[in-house]
Amino acid sequence: MKRWILCLGLIFATVSTRCAGAQPGSELRFCIPSDPRTWNPLLVEDDASETIRYLTGGVLVRLNRQTQQLEPELATAWKVSRAGNAISFTLRRNVRFSDGSAFTARDVAYTIAQLMDPALHSPTGDAFRAAPGKVITRIADPYQITILFPAPVVGLAKLFDQVAILSATSPEHERAVLGPYQLADYRGGSFVLLRRNPNYWKHDSAGRPLPYIQSVRLDIEQNRDIELLRLLRGEIDLIGSLSPESYDRLSAKAPGMAVDAGVSLDSEQMWFNQAPSAPIAEYKKAWFRSTNFRRAVSESIHRDDIIRIVFHGHARPAVSWISPANRAWFDSKLAPHAFDRSEALRLLAHDGFTLVNGVLHDRAGHAVEFSLVTNAGNTPRERMAAMIQQDLAAIGIRVHVVTLDFSSLIERITRSLNYEACLLGLVNDDLDPNAQMNVWLSSGENHQWNPGEKKPATAWEAEIDRLMRAQAASLDAKKRKQDVDRVQEIVWKQEPFIYLVDKDALMAVSPNLHNVSPVALRPQVYWNIDWLWLSNSGSRRP
Amino acid sequence: MTSGGSADKPGMADLALSLAGGEPRPARAVVRKLARHLARILVVVLLGGFLGATLVRVAPGYGVDSEELDSRLSAESLRAARRAAAPQEGLFPFYLHFCERLLHGDLGESRLLHMPVRQLVAERFPETAKSVGLGLALAWTAGLGLATAAVMTAGGVDLLAGLLASVLVCIPAAVLALLFIMVQAPARLAIGLILFPKVFQFARNLLADAAARPHVLAARARGAAGVGVFLRHVLPVAGPQLLALGGISVSMAFAAAIPVEALCDLPGIGQLAWQAAMGRDLALLVDLTMIVTLLTLLANSAADLAGLGRP
Repeated sequence: MKRWILCLGLIFATVSTRCAGAQPGSELRFCIPSDPRTWNPLLVEDDASETIRYLTGGVLVRLNRQTQQLEPELATAWKVSRAGNAISFTLRRNVRFSDGSAFTARDVAYTIAQLMDPALHSPTGDAFRAAPGKVITRIADPYQITILFPAPVVGLAKLFDQVAILSATSPEHERAVLGPYQLADYRGGSFVLLRRNPNYWKHDSAGRPLPYIQSVRLDIEQNRDIELLRLLRGEIDLIGSLSPESYDRLSAKAPGMAVDAGVSLDSEQMWFNQAPSAPIAEYKKAWFRSTNFRRAVSESIHRDDIIRIVFHGHARPAVSWISPANRAWFDSKLAPHAFDRSEALRLLAHDGFTLVNGVLHDRAGHAVEFSLVTNAGNTPRERMAAMIQQDLAAIGIRVHVVTLDFSSLIERITRSLNYEACLLGLVNDDLDPNAQMNVWLSSGENHQWNPGEKKPATAWEAEIDRLMRAQAASLDAKKRKQDVDRVQEIVWKQEPFIYLVDKDALMAVSPNLHNVSPVALRPQVYWNIDWLWLSNSGSRRP
Repeated sequence: MTSGGSADKPGMADLALSLAGGEPRPARAVVRKLARHLARILVVVLLGGFLGATLVRVAPGYGVDSEELDSRLSAESLRAARRAAAPQEGLFPFYLHFCERLLHGDLGESRLLHMPVRQLVAERFPETAKSVGLGLALAWTAGLGLATAAVMTAGGVDLLAGLLASVLVCIPAAVLALLFIMVQAPARLAIGLILFPKVFQFARNLLADAAARPHVLAARARGAAGVGVFLRHVLPVAGPQLLALGGISVSMAFAAAIPVEALCDLPGIGQLAWQAAMGRDLALLVDLTMIVTLLTLLANSAADLAGLGRP
């Protein structure tokens, strides 16, 4: 019997030792939440593919995530035409793709042709599509190229931060890259291994090739708790996005590793379904279309409590659809909606609502109650829904919280429209408000509270349409800012989306990783990957 | 005995039955039984696939993609994304075409991972086979070992092993898997602990039943060596049932692998099935349903056939 136990113990110990990975060499390790859905940098839409694009793709210009200013990369200079419909690039010389083929204007022209192919349906390409028509590229010489668009494109140069240049000639197609790393290995569901691109053009001031880190291993890990555990064990070097609970847990165990980079671009908001075709009672639609009703709900939600309890202090009361992290476009004149139950009741009374025995009734005597759908499995959001339920109960509104898996939720809010109110967070990576045209134009499919309106349902939506179109057509930065500020003010007053909180960018960084300057914009930790180095892995300190 | 050509020269099936401790049966009957099993497997796999396809098609959220919330997409791209995600044909035509492609070895393409399902299964199956193999090895080594010890020795081992099995059977598979992660042990061993109580309890009861037979008691009373009596008189009696239990434990191991892989991020077909279900990936889910059904039925049939020799 003892022998049996001993044998089992030995088997267990042997397998345990083999699997508890040790970290070799100069290899940065972190996790991505899923397998990349595409290797084509022009078709990127998910986080995992975006990570790989950022680490492998060479771009003409790069948005410095810290200064929020454009910096030269493969283009040494660029100029946008006065009409705003053309951009000329001067390309860097003596640059080679990872497979050794030379980088020239032909590759840029090829990339643009691929990107703007209407059949490709590239989200990156769609950002350039201000009007129908063909995009023309003119190659003056191998290092000079001009790209002409059929109409002015606002924020044109910044859009190239997302365009990874493809090789026009390489037989490796999108595997031939100009970025700091190239794909070395991929095991489905397990990991993606990137190795330093031997032909990467950047060097430091001492002439040493960049990036300093030899390889990046991206472990595919869906379970965020396991990810944190692995960080604490030293198996990975960073976590790009932490939940508030994980942040606090990490702060308690390893205070030096937890980083709060301040307010991010991500917000949490709720909205009421105002679509005429929605299969919900007409009297409820009438409530949801009332500005007073929406504002009363907004002013009854104690955002500070949500921040304190749900986000452990790592969030700010949301003011607008543009986060304060977006320094250029946020309207700093706006203040968060005050928590004021008596004002909420006053607004409701103005619309004929009455509070009887603690239950709010409308003019026709219907008790005010609605369901609030949100996605299951997102703990902060589920807690927020519970707190909203509690806050609204205090003004006599009964809220039924319904959690759905993400696919079902999308179906409800985009197809069947069979929901009353929704609580969701929108992830926004683009600083330019133009990227949200589909949300704010009343005809937009992502105009969530009433998608695809034939014509604006309200005067204020018509005004938003006008302002958004005007800013999209204007090249005058000051005028654009005025228009966008005005849209923010209208949204603040009308509250088609009730903005609740702007979340902080929480992340974790191993003390072994150096030169890290965490920022609120994605990718928060490794945006300056070229300059990062690991102290315990044999890489030389620069 | 009318066993045709195999009357004088026993075939493999007869030999297997002999080894299993039963009387040799006519080869024709065995072939008939095999054919019945294969036919049943084929029908159930096809029905399982169809049922899987139906469930996915009627599930809320089928035919939508998270991409639709991407505000960068133009109206035309959004329409294209919706067209791509929406069902292209009715349920019956889909399944007929699916089976037609299946006959040519084409398992279709995963909408979620943009890869051929055949490649995904080929990549992920070895991982699950490893998990299942390791889990079965652990469960059978510990389960049969402790069951033998419990039957052969006095009450202490029986009590302790029974207690361990009871505790393990009470712990949900997911919790066991997470415990393994916490202690930095390979999560796939959790499959072994999930199976252990079942293997131990069944094996112990079978062995105890065989050990209580009069001739075994008489042999022991006459002072025959314990190991010799166990090997000659206890194990052969319980053998066919233990073989049957072995077959069933394979299907139990596959069932346990799905939550363990999904929770512990082991890149096997269990994790793939979870992702496919969450993403409403029709082709992938139907293929995986059919594969898991096939494996379960094969294991059960093997157990059934192994039990042919039972008295």
